[in-house]
Amino acid sequence: MNAGILSVSPAFYKVWLRNAQVFIALWKFNFLPALAEPVLFIFVMGLGIGSYIKEIEGVPYLDFVAAGILGSAAIMQATFECTYGSFFRMRIQNTFEGIISTPMSADEVGLAEISWGATRGMVNATLVFFILLVMGVFHRWQVIFLPPLMFLAAFNFAAIALLVTSRIAQMEYFRFYFSGIVLPAQFICGTFFPVSRFPEAVQIFAWVIPFTSYIDISRSLMLDRPARALGPELLWALGTTLIFTELAVRSMHRRLVR
Amino acid sequence: MIIEAKSLCKRFRDVVAVDGLDLEVEPGRCYGLVGPNGAGKTTTMKMIYCITEPTSGSLRVFDLDVISHPREIKARLGVVPQENNLDPDLSTSQNLKVYARYFGISKDVAASRCQELLEFMHLSDRADSPMPALSGGMKRRLILARALINDPELIILDEPTTGLDPQVRHLIWDRLLELKERGITLLLTTHYMDEAQKLCDEVLIMDEARSVDVGTPSKLIRSHMRPYVLELRAERGRVADILSRFGHLEHQSSGQNLYFYGNATEEFNGLYGAYPDVEHLLRPASLEDVFLKLTGREIRQ
Ligand SMILES: Nc1ncnc2c1ncn2[C@@H]1O[C@H](COP(=O)(O)OP(=O)(O)OP(=O)(O)O)[C@@H](O)[C@H]1O
Ligand SMILES: [Mg+2]
Repeated sequence: MNAGILSVSPAFYKVWLRNAQVFIALWKFNFLPALAEPVLFIFVMGLGIGSYIKEIEGVPYLDFVAAGILGSAAIMQATFECTYGSFFRMRIQNTFEGIISTPMSADEVGLAEISWGATRGMVNATLVFFILLVMGVFHRWQVIFLPPLMFLAAFNFAAIALLVTSRIAQMEYFRFYFSGIVLPAQFICGTFFPVSRFPEAVQIFAWVIPFTSYIDISRSLMLDRPARALGPELLWALGTTLIFTELAVRSMHRRLVR
Repeated sequence: MIIEAKSLCKRFRDVVAVDGLDLEVEPGRCYGLVGPNGAGKTTTMKMIYCITEPTSGSLRVFDLDVISHPREIKARLGVVPQENNLDPDLSTSQNLKVYARYFGISKDVAASRCQELLEFMHLSDRADSPMPALSGGMKRRLILARALINDPELIILDEPTTGLDPQVRHLIWDRLLELKERGITLLLTTHYMDEAQKLCDEVLIMDEARSVDVGTPSKLIRSHMRPYVLELRAERGRVADILSRFGHLEHQSSGQNLYFYGNATEEFNGLYGAYPDVEHLLRPASLEDVFLKLTGREIRQ
């Protein structure tokens, strides 16, 4: 039985297009709520808490948290899309069963869902990027690499999310994923303060979650300073993306073609 | 052969859904699968349209193996699934066009096909309706239109008329017969035996994952039933009395309903005479009688 990324034909974009079409039909409900969280973070963390902290690691607090807020916007949107969104399409609407009754394969549905989650994450992050730009947070031209990096981050977390989605029997199990991985990731991966603040065990856990690498690289692009270890960080980001995508696509195949 | 299954089996963990099924569907025929709830009809169909893999046995569609050529097979057939899976966030025509894209049909062709099919299914004035605005019958018609978007050689219909009013059922029957006339092969499940009798050239009766019998409706009736049935609806107290006097005739009982079977109407004359006031109906034997005889009158699942 051939399954996995290598079995996917370029036609998978058609499933991505279906999601885009529905998104556009419902854009009012999709767009603004998704932006509420990052905007709130900018105000509460950057301007609110930032007015007390003044400086962290030698830069204004808003400049420091910008990387975290941007990254969160990307991975949270991708995660929601490929957990609740994909599960809803799979189990409630039977959309996937319909799609795989045409020449499309289950693996193509899987890769399309991940790509779509990544797209939404990147769209969200790009909007936040422009808000930050207007606020004068960026000082270097290298920040133009941030949107593509955010696409990778969103892709990575969309893949992990879809793997979870393909394995659970009912939606309630998402709560374990959110409170066990997603929420901790949002707070301990160097989003709002440096990872080095934590005891060593927590630091290791933080670095295992690829989000830490994305934030560290983002920060090195925004602020004029090197990443902790650019090579290994990029490798970990790319490697986990590839592995989780393959696992999620295969798992989706097993879930849909029973 | 359009579909050819040999000793086809499907097991879900500890449930055997299909057990040693043999099936042969010739081109241009309407083939019916009937059986009680849980008999394995949907599972059989899902294996044929390649979204469930057989556990064992062989299954070929268009002379292609379902395990090695699912894409090629699916490109040539249309599916009306048992459960509605229309896209609730898209309009009627968008639902069709999204599917056209999955089949690699160009935009222009899709647009004209979409118009044609909406007309064929009497949905033209609903082309831009959102899904929640459609009635159950309209949704079912739209699903049938969607199954035709790729001009299929085989259409698989899993209970296409369940829950529909008589007008819509008749429209769907007309359309299915029209499609058959064009040479398209139909594979259909239904719980309405009148529907199976009307539409199907050949019917396979399934029960508990196995095939019980197969043949044309009239052959099935002839080989399992006497030609005439007398139905009686007696008051509770009289059932035993009637059976004590006429139990020698072939019969079945189900609560207050009694069914007597005969080779000629005269055989029932004694019965009429003895109970002129009991509500009765004399009719030719039907596929439903065969179904109930072979699968029993008690409820399954
Ligand atoms: N995905 C599945 N996992 C486990 N068991 C299943 C699955 N799909 C079907 N079954 C079981 O297989 C058997 C046959 O189911 P199937 O849906 O094929 O019946 P059916 O003849 O279509 O019934 P109905 O007339 O109610 O639609 C049932 O016992 C059902 O519970
Ligand atoms: Mg069924």
